[in-house]
Amino acid sequence: MWRDPGVSADSFYEIRPECTDVPISRFKIKAGKTLSARKWHAAFTPEGYLDIGKTLSRIYRGCHGELWLAGKHKGVHPSIRGEVWEFLLGCYDPKSTFEERDQIRHRRRMQYATLKEECRQLFPLIGSGRFVTAPVVTEDGHPIQDPLVLKETNSAKGLDVHHQDNNNHSSRIATNSLQKVTDKIVVQWLLTLHQIGLDVVRTDRTLVFYEKQENLSKLWDVLAVYAWVESQFLIISVLEFVKRGNFRCTESSVGVTSQLNVLASVTQVIDPKLHNHLDNLGGGDYLFAFRMLMVLFRREFSFCDSLYLWEMMWALEYDPDLFLMYEMPESASEKAVGSKGKSKSIRQCGKYEREFLKSGSKNASQAPLPISVFLVASVLKDKSSKLLQEARGLDDVVKAKKP
Amino acid sequence: MDVAADDAFDEQCDYLFKAVLIGDSGVGKTNLISRFAKDEFRLDSKPTIGVEFAYRNIKVIDKLIKTQIWDTAGQERFRAITSSYYRGALGAMLVYDITKRATFVNVRKWLRELREFGGDDMVVVLVGNKSDLAQSREVEKEEGKGYAETERLCFMETSALQNQNVEEAFLEMITKIHDIISHKSLETKINGTSLNLPSGKEIHIADEVTATKQPNYCCS
Repeated sequence: MWRDPGVSADSFYEIRPECTDVPISRFKIKAGKTLSARKWHAAFTPEGYLDIGKTLSRIYRGCHGELWLAGKHKGVHPSIRGEVWEFLLGCYDPKSTFEERDQIRHRRRMQYATLKEECRQLFPLIGSGRFVTAPVVTEDGHPIQDPLVLKETNSAKGLDVHHQDNNNHSSRIATNSLQKVTDKIVVQWLLTLHQIGLDVVRTDRTLVFYEKQENLSKLWDVLAVYAWVESQFLIISVLEFVKRGNFRCTESSVGVTSQLNVLASVTQVIDPKLHNHLDNLGGGDYLFAFRMLMVLFRREFSFCDSLYLWEMMWALEYDPDLFLMYEMPESASEKAVGSKGKSKSIRQCGKYEREFLKSGSKNASQAPLPISVFLVASVLKDKSSKLLQEARGLDDVVKAKKP
Repeated sequence: MDVAADDAFDEQCDYLFKAVLIGDSGVGKTNLISRFAKDEFRLDSKPTIGVEFAYRNIKVIDKLIKTQIWDTAGQERFRAITSSYYRGALGAMLVYDITKRATFVNVRKWLRELREFGGDDMVVVLVGNKSDLAQSREVEKEEGKGYAETERLCFMETSALQNQNVEEAFLEMITKIHDIISHKSLETKINGTSLNLPSGKEIHIADEVTATKQPNYCCS
């Protein structure tokens, strides 16, 4: 039978020609396998209800353990990733109409604009097309000398602020005319801004997309606003925690320490020889795997393959009640405690989530382990003989774990 | 990697030292380590997430020393479990960027963390990196040196880009660790086992040294 060899998706995520040290992509778009625009649109009823169960299985069907890594080339076509991901990440109830989603989308855009404006009031560079890579306040909230003024006085130091427009002189001077900041939350947020800037310029510089200053500063804006919301959210969580006197909020996610511990136990069971070897090399704490868990293999894979892997994981872990967290955090946590699992159709869940529900372990005191922990274990298992034979140090372990 | 040669070295290796690199994001920790361990330098290195590792074998007087260097993330949110970075570390290189004053100001903060989690005898080298960017200098050499003296740290300015003083800085740290270790084992021999040992830490270090040097790799 004739088989489609597939088309590379790298053209959607163009790499700068001078960057040679980039992992090769293995994901390929295959007709009939990769979720296409046509199939995606056909999964909606005329009013907009999505058959999420069918869509999910289209994305992950046939993927078991390390077979993901072999690349079965399912996944989502790059042209529709934006739309599909909105559902995979729980932005909407799959049982909503086109119109309802339009309204939600519109409302959220407005909400984002408000938050961004809030941030801009605190630090005027937000939304300006420029960003910082040097700190703007000290830890006790004293403003650090305006890096933009520094730029004016000494062009050699100009790396600190990245410009899009070079002639808006008046706004430049005003950029860091901060008073001493007393609000601790604001200080904490201001302290993250240059770190976000450093990540923005350093992380994905192999992509053509980020050659544009405009795209870099857009990313900086998004991350800065996100950091602001996160800082607010933490406060609410702490208040909730005190008010209710329980541990609900802290249990919604499994910390990285326990993830590493589980990884150690899993490896010990599935490959005791390998576990001993890693332990002898001084890697018994599995800290070398922290990066894989933290950025979900983003450093081990090409950009294109990372996206493929992520959508696979999201589809497998999909929980149809996810959207409740965004719309009604209160009711979502109530639901988690009370009737979770009863109200939602198991058919709508991803495979991994379904197994988790079936195993009956889902209750308020136990959040599911992220599937990534098992993925790391499977990569280690896969590379076991290579690691046993060749790894003489933890540096070799980090290198060899590239799938 | 020349496996055969390395195996041979492992067999004879007298000590295994753990050292840790700390300092603000973007000061050049990763490039210092890759210059020292692999003689490489990348202008486009990415932020370190969690921790990465490098090794280098060195001969000090008649002893063969394998140094395991932990290259840690400068950013809080990429750091994970801080205490485990310092556990068992005999040396630390605290790095700042001579062209960014804020990274020098933060040295105090790093030192606090180091003193909290690290052992009392840890050898600390303060490193002012990027000395090749003299035209953008914001921290004078004398200032770095002065601070190091008050805090009783070793001090050096380096350039990972131009390969200046990198080898020297690491060797300084490794030799100092070696001095302390050999002095200690001598002391232990003279004084008997547990006399004059405040917390048993020394013995712990010695144990660790002997335990980690054993070639357990050949289990398959």
